[in-house]
Amino acid sequence: MEFLHNIINIMLPEMAIILFIFVQIIMSMFLDIKFYKIAKGLTLLAIILATGLCTKVQIDPLYFAFKDSIISDNYTIFFKCLILISSFLILFLTKRTIATRRENAFQFNALILTAILGSLTLVSANDFLTMFIAMEVLGFAMFFLLAFEKGYKSKEATYKYILMSAVASAVFLFGVSYLYGITGSVNFSVIYEYFLEHTPTLLYSMATIFIVCGLMFKLGVMPFANWILDVYEGASTSVVAFLSVVPKLAMFGILARLLVFALSYSFELTFVLVSVSVVTAIWANCLAVRQKNIKRLLACSSSANAAYVLFAASLVSVFNLSTVLFYLVAYMFMNIGVFAAVIILESSEFSNKLYEFKNFAYTNPIFTLCFATCILGLAGFPITAGFISKLYLFSAIARSGIVFLPFLIVLMITIVISVYYYLRVVKLMFEKSDVVESKVIPHKTSSAIVILYCCAVITILLGIFPSKVIELCQLMAYNI
Amino acid sequence: MKHLSLIILIFSPLLVSGLLFSPFFKNNEVRIRRFSKGFAGLHLIYTLLFLVFFNPLADGISYYKEVTFFGSSWIQPLGVKFAFGMDGISLVMVLLTSVIILMALIASKSNIKVKHKFYYSLIFLLQTAILGVFCARDMFLFFMFWELELIPMYFLIGQWGDPKAKASAMKFVLYTFFGSLFMLLGILLLHFYNFAIYGNVTADFANISISSPDFPMPMQLLISILLLIGFAVKMPIVPFHTWLPDAHVDAPTPVSMILASVLLKMGAFGIIRFNMQLLPEAFKLIVPVLVVFALINIVYTAFIAYSQTDLKKLIAYSSISNMGIVLLGLCSLNLIGFSGAVFQMLAHGLISAGLFMVVGIIYLRTKTRDISELGGLGEVMPRLMGFGIILTLASVGLPLLMGFVGEFLVFLGSFNSDIDSYVPIKFYTMAALLILILSACYMLRFLHRTFFSTLLEKWKSLKDITIHEFVVLSVISLFVVFFGMFPMSILDIVQPVLTNILQALQL
Repeated sequence: MEFLHNIINIMLPEMAIILFIFVQIIMSMFLDIKFYKIAKGLTLLAIILATGLCTKVQIDPLYFAFKDSIISDNYTIFFKCLILISSFLILFLTKRTIATRRENAFQFNALILTAILGSLTLVSANDFLTMFIAMEVLGFAMFFLLAFEKGYKSKEATYKYILMSAVASAVFLFGVSYLYGITGSVNFSVIYEYFLEHTPTLLYSMATIFIVCGLMFKLGVMPFANWILDVYEGASTSVVAFLSVVPKLAMFGILARLLVFALSYSFELTFVLVSVSVVTAIWANCLAVRQKNIKRLLACSSSANAAYVLFAASLVSVFNLSTVLFYLVAYMFMNIGVFAAVIILESSEFSNKLYEFKNFAYTNPIFTLCFATCILGLAGFPITAGFISKLYLFSAIARSGIVFLPFLIVLMITIVISVYYYLRVVKLMFEKSDVVESKVIPHKTSSAIVILYCCAVITILLGIFPSKVIELCQLMAYNI
Repeated sequence: MKHLSLIILIFSPLLVSGLLFSPFFKNNEVRIRRFSKGFAGLHLIYTLLFLVFFNPLADGISYYKEVTFFGSSWIQPLGVKFAFGMDGISLVMVLLTSVIILMALIASKSNIKVKHKFYYSLIFLLQTAILGVFCARDMFLFFMFWELELIPMYFLIGQWGDPKAKASAMKFVLYTFFGSLFMLLGILLLHFYNFAIYGNVTADFANISISSPDFPMPMQLLISILLLIGFAVKMPIVPFHTWLPDAHVDAPTPVSMILASVLLKMGAFGIIRFNMQLLPEAFKLIVPVLVVFALINIVYTAFIAYSQTDLKKLIAYSSISNMGIVLLGLCSLNLIGFSGAVFQMLAHGLISAGLFMVVGIIYLRTKTRDISELGGLGEVMPRLMGFGIILTLASVGLPLLMGFVGEFLVFLGSFNSDIDSYVPIKFYTMAALLILILSACYMLRFLHRTFFSTLLEKWKSLKDITIHEFVVLSVISLFVVFFGMFPMSILDIVQPVLTNILQALQL
């Protein structure tokens, strides 16, 4: 009876998603290929339903379910909403991916839903076991999604991703087993309380570092980031858009909670994370300078952004957490906007080479304006969300202690490098060239265009009226 | 006075920029140009109203206006306000901006041949950003406008400049961004320590009172240096100056005018706003070092200017040298030096804009800026030569012209300064006085080689200046002569503010 009670109280969004996963699979068995459009509709319905059910979830007072393995509070519901909203936006970008393989449309949507399910469970995990299972659910769905595109490149990318993922999982479990050995539990709250009474040892620090290494893989942070360029280039763009937003949101959601609770006693871990993030920022930003393919460039950009967020998240405080949340919100919209633009380009028979961007400003002015807004947002120029979020993030790091100032200065210098490659993309669009054929974007990709416009508008709005959203993020962070 | 709104002043160019960019505005070159000039003229008149109703003796900030969004300030959690206000220095700088923008728009006719809609909308976006910097009453707002100015400037240099301009524009943006990130770090630390000591989360210039004994001196120094790096790139101070010649040379003439006359002043303005007003104690400690940089700035770049064969580069390096004079004035820590510095900012703003215009006209006619290929242009372009002589002599510092007042006040101030320096500042001043000879050398060489000497055969068919160019040059020259004769009209506006700053410094 308690089981049912738990489900009704906090698991309804996940249940809705599970229901629709089954519906999708059953549909795929019985429906003809010409009904492929239903699949996307069903997924959208599932997401809308899940978002609606999020309002029914008990969050105040916070709720522990299934023998404390799942937690539900303001913070988890915030992340669940973000995940659902971003998946909703990204789903409109999948049209082209499905167009090549209509016979698998239902399976594709079932996999997307599975990945969403994994992400939703991941942010509300309260012990390492649940967390691991959720990560694997997310991971397995991602393997198939990445391999969905035809051609050898996506297979190669998937293979890299699987291998790295396996290594990361092993490292993660290794760390968890040590932590279990020390404390006798895998529950976050129990571990947190255990170290209130016992002094943390070096072994504890080692264990935390191993655990975080496992998570770094999914974030695309330096020692485990080699997959990111090839995967972004090889896989289908809509899947990459999904990969760059949803798992990242979920990972940061759980990582921030881990750093606040179970892993909060290790000073070594803080320094490791800070160094890793600075090294990643240098690596990713320097690598991006030479990229000629927009998708590879975005891979570097996403890795670099993960590094900035990781820096702030590793210096644990509620204020830092609120800046991380705001940065993720801003990044989510800007990133989806940029990927929407890339998808529009792909469906207009552009390859992803940067030099093909010439003449855009004169053939497609509004499209260019929105695309440029999102790119300049990622670069952190004012009146975009990117400016406010970077300002806010750095204000948190600057007040975390004088020790971290040198790291912050290095990070800021890498941001100057990032401005170079972001601006180069914008510059190319405003360049006039007679060699490159100027094409007009057709209207058949209307849904992606709407998403791009929405994201550009939200990027600007968040840049002009950030106050309320920041207050919301602070509320969530202070209630963790 | 109550009806004058800084919000309208700052954001009306932004609206016009949007209007010009939008598809509703017809892509008709003549109409776009006339509309832009008309608006810039109206904007200048509106700015003059601010001058008319300005009371320099009123305490604090005039025309203060804070905008709230849905009942809370702009970024409530960081205490950031969307607030604007003017003091004497802002007013002078805003006037300079409005005048120079109008002049640049008039000068654009012969220089800008393609993409008119985009160009004029970017100019107005730039104007909003510059006015925002000069009027912001909040550190983060200041920083936002400071960064915002980069985007239009990047395109203005890159898209309408010479073939090499794209690289130069990128260099300009990267340098400034590099500097401004240090500045951001300084602002964040200032914001945080103000919060840590006084417990109020605020970024308002008026509420940041750092000159208290609670605030550790090393931290004040660190913040001051971080901020100074940001301003040094913009101003520019010597090790950070290499972006400027490239950007100037490759930018189209109107953009060079704006860049030299207004954007460089933002650096000096930032030093006054932040380093002097917010961190006076630390500034006093930095001054002995800063004065060395000022000297290097003045003399070193003057030598470089002397060795240039490219006319635009010559003017660009002389700009850096002139900004060194501004810095020397700020380092003198007395009223005469400060007034000289602010006056020199204005003087250089007008003179350099005029000189770039002269050089731009020569370049447009002859397609060369190489000083050795020119000569005797005075024979075919007598009117241009007239203006050229006035502006060059003003730059050299001929009495009764604007340049003289600024330089004289700065040198007088720094000679009489009583700051504790390792080497007495009198010696620095004497060394800096070399500029009087050096500037005469390179400027008169410029004058001689281009307008006098023998006229080459190929330049015989050159035409004298058009009516547009005549208007620009005559307005600037008029200002240069007028303020050279009546410098107190400017000094009366700025001196009350400078006296306040000085009182804070002498605590």
